Amino acid sequence: MIKLKNLLVTALTVGAFASSALAIGFTKKSELGGFDGFVERMGAGVRELGRGNTGSADTASMPAAYWNPALLGFRENIGITMNFEKRDLDRIGGAFGIEGKVGKRMGVGFAMLYRGDTDFKVIDDDDQTLGSASPSFSMFYLGFAYRATRQDAFGLSLSMSYDNLDVAQYFESIDMEDSFRSPVTINLSWFRQWNDKWSSSVVIRNLSFSRNLSAKWTKNPSKDNSLASTEGVRPKVLQVGLGYRTQIMGKTVHAWMEALDYQVADTLLAFDPQLHVWTGRVGFECEVIPNGTLRVGMDDLDWMFGAGYKFDIRIGRKKFPIEVDYAFLYESRAGIWTPFTIGLRGYIP
Amino acid sequence: MKLGKMKNVVAGLLMGSALCGNAIAAETLFSNYVFAVGPAGQNGALWSFSRDGSYSGVTLLNFSVSGKGSVVTESTAQSSVETDTMTAARYEIYEEDFAERRRLPAVYTGSKLGLVLPMFSVDESGRTSRPTGYYTIRDLNSVIENPLDAPVDEDTLKKQPLMYATSGFAYDSTAKRLWVARGALGVMVHDMSGKRNEDTTFVLNLKMNKLEVRKQNAELDLENNPEIFDVRIHPETRDLWLATAKGLWVKSSSGLKNISKNLKDSRVTGLWMGGEPLQIIAETNYKKKDNVIGGLWRIYNEKTSDFVKVDFLDTAGKVQKKDIYDEADYTVSDIAFIGKTAYVLVHAVGGSISGYLKLDSRGARAWDQDDDGKLQWLYGYETGATDRKAIIMSMCAFPLTKDRMGLAIATYGNGISVSADSGATWSVILNRARLNNNLGSIRMVPSVITPGDESLVSYKVGRESKITIEVFSYDMRKVRTIVKDAVRSADASRSTNPKEDVWDGRDDHGKDCTMGVYYIRVKDNHGHIGWGKAMTLGGNFR
Repeated sequence: MIKLKNLLVTALTVGAFASSALAIGFTKKSELGGFDGFVERMGAGVRELGRGNTGSADTASMPAAYWNPALLGFRENIGITMNFEKRDLDRIGGAFGIEGKVGKRMGVGFAMLYRGDTDFKVIDDDDQTLGSASPSFSMFYLGFAYRATRQDAFGLSLSMSYDNLDVAQYFESIDMEDSFRSPVTINLSWFRQWNDKWSSSVVIRNLSFSRNLSAKWTKNPSKDNSLASTEGVRPKVLQVGLGYRTQIMGKTVHAWMEALDYQVADTLLAFDPQLHVWTGRVGFECEVIPNGTLRVGMDDLDWMFGAGYKFDIRIGRKKFPIEVDYAFLYESRAGIWTPFTIGLRGYIP
Repeated sequence: MKLGKMKNVVAGLLMGSALCGNAIAAETLFSNYVFAVGPAGQNGALWSFSRDGSYSGVTLLNFSVSGKGSVVTESTAQSSVETDTMTAARYEIYEEDFAERRRLPAVYTGSKLGLVLPMFSVDESGRTSRPTGYYTIRDLNSVIENPLDAPVDEDTLKKQPLMYATSGFAYDSTAKRLWVARGALGVMVHDMSGKRNEDTTFVLNLKMNKLEVRKQNAELDLENNPEIFDVRIHPETRDLWLATAKGLWVKSSSGLKNISKNLKDSRVTGLWMGGEPLQIIAETNYKKKDNVIGGLWRIYNEKTSDFVKVDFLDTAGKVQKKDIYDEADYTVSDIAFIGKTAYVLVHAVGGSISGYLKLDSRGARAWDQDDDGKLQWLYGYETGATDRKAIIMSMCAFPLTKDRMGLAIATYGNGISVSADSGATWSVILNRARLNNNLGSIRMVPSVITPGDESLVSYKVGRESKITIEVFSYDMRKVRTIVKDAVRSADASRSTNPKEDVWDGRDDHGKDCTMGVYYIRVKDNHGHIGWGKAMTLGGNFR
């Protein structure tokens, strides 16, 4: 039996690595980094970050409106999460979520994801620094779920982004726009808890109301049309997740895996592999001490380690479960490591 | 066309990049956006006129020549134009089709007046389009505004201000007169021979065959009083030459006459004289439907009695049937003369292509022929005159040393280039921020771009290194490798290779990266790593 478990864990790992490798082999015509949607790609929540940004197949993932709105169907209490990251090169990020149960079978949640740069030097053509800007990029999600059975839930979330480049003040003679909002996009999801060991998820992200159901929009950087308008396309994403829970040496171990397909084209469905970027995520976590969890994971080629600790705060007769999470991140392609992350989550019973 | 539009976009972006000329005073030049260069009288001295957005200024540069023959910058000093509502570079210089409106005449007139430039003030729409007079710049403390009255009513001036723009200067040092070509207003003379300086404006009267004083608020009669686009004093005869909308006219002691049968009714928009032996070059330019039809004409060493079209030769010297005007619509921005050679600076209409032709006694000779058989006549970025692709706005010859003439070119965004060997090699002079050794500081210049424009990766290494430059998105996905293990030398100011070390806002497959912040990593082979940041305002999904 142990052999079977090891085999499964190995399969998950190999699968994630394989999907990462595929990303290298099939990106001949597009670089994912040049496409809209990095805020979404970078995930949300320090707990999930510590295990490779995996969260779509875990009913405890927060904010669920981002990870998989179907998870909201499993909420029993009001959950709140707050997270902060300070990455190298003046990058800061964070996520906030609040979610809860509505009626017997439904849930609703809100999530906000934030990324920014606190020190972007605006340099002109005369090689002179005009000042420092703080561009910021955020996404908002409003999610709804319906729990169809004890095991299945379906979710829908609406998302939009708000970006502020913060450089207009340095271009006085142009009536420049600083902030941009994307139209609403739709994310659909399904979650199934197969049994006490296995769970799975399917999330389709970034559908919109255009002809090809693509999240495509035009942004005009200047109010007086002195700058050329720009078109953005946020790739459609198919995110398939798998979760497995087992006991190893008396300790509860979770293995998570997600395979993501980014369709980097303004088409309804593209079958040309050149128009797809596949990446994978894999993560493991083990409750090494009571309420204390260690995590390890890999998101594409980036490595993560994490830790979390759960405790309760009693106020009167009420007990409020709290969890503090930490993650260490190594962005391997750039050779940058991030030690400053912290996440907090809790429930109001 | 797209390139041209993009250039305009960038122009607009960069024109707005300055909050105040004085607040961000440039290190070497007033700005890297140089519109004109001109001699400053002394050996090795050169004027440059720049505009960094709202403000304009001049820089006086002094050069020497090293033992190896390269140009050495000895000193630079700047002075700004006092107001942001006046400048020598009219707004439409990027947009206009007509040749006379696409150049900025910068004429050195001697120590009395110094460098003469046109002067424009802002109109109601905030554009510096309104012809207002001219600047005379004797030294950095004497940037003098010389306003000129427009002898037409205000409404006429508002409708088509550029019809009355100053587009040429000539100084008659013998008679102490400055002649100013004023388009539809004719030609003005500023007489300094008497105690009082007097200005008189003349129009060319075709019926009477004479120059007559223009009456205040007289009705425009362009049929009988054609526009005068340029003016020159013949260096040997001291006759006054006028380039007009109806031919080329010369006023001498024997009267006024149309000097060229071949250009009799042509719209002659520019006139240049110089060189040894003397060359007289005229440009014709008119619009036919949407096309700008240009032509270059010349009298070389008085071998011909009239102007003849300049021949375009292949690399072997064979005259070609087709020339650059068959490839694009070009206008002449400036002409410099050194010895037998004329350097004719041209700029494509509605595009960013610019460069200079080298005219010898036979014509413009191609310097190369590419694999497709296309002859290369234009010298510029490809021949090392600039180290970045920038529009060349102006060109001049100036005395570099007692016995050597220098060539200088002004570029839109890349400072100036100076050559001590008639254009064989060039030295680029532009503003550069101080950098720390061994990738201690990386600067993206400029740091905000639109796709297709270039942000220079500026860095310095202390010893020869193999450099790898890569661009990462915010989520640290690599989107572009700019150079890999490229050898770069140690340099006192920067080790960047401006031709290669640039990011154009695109990924490895040539696709525009979406609007956002990108991180540029520079690595050497000695373990040093530096990071810079650039923002692209996005392009179009293709």
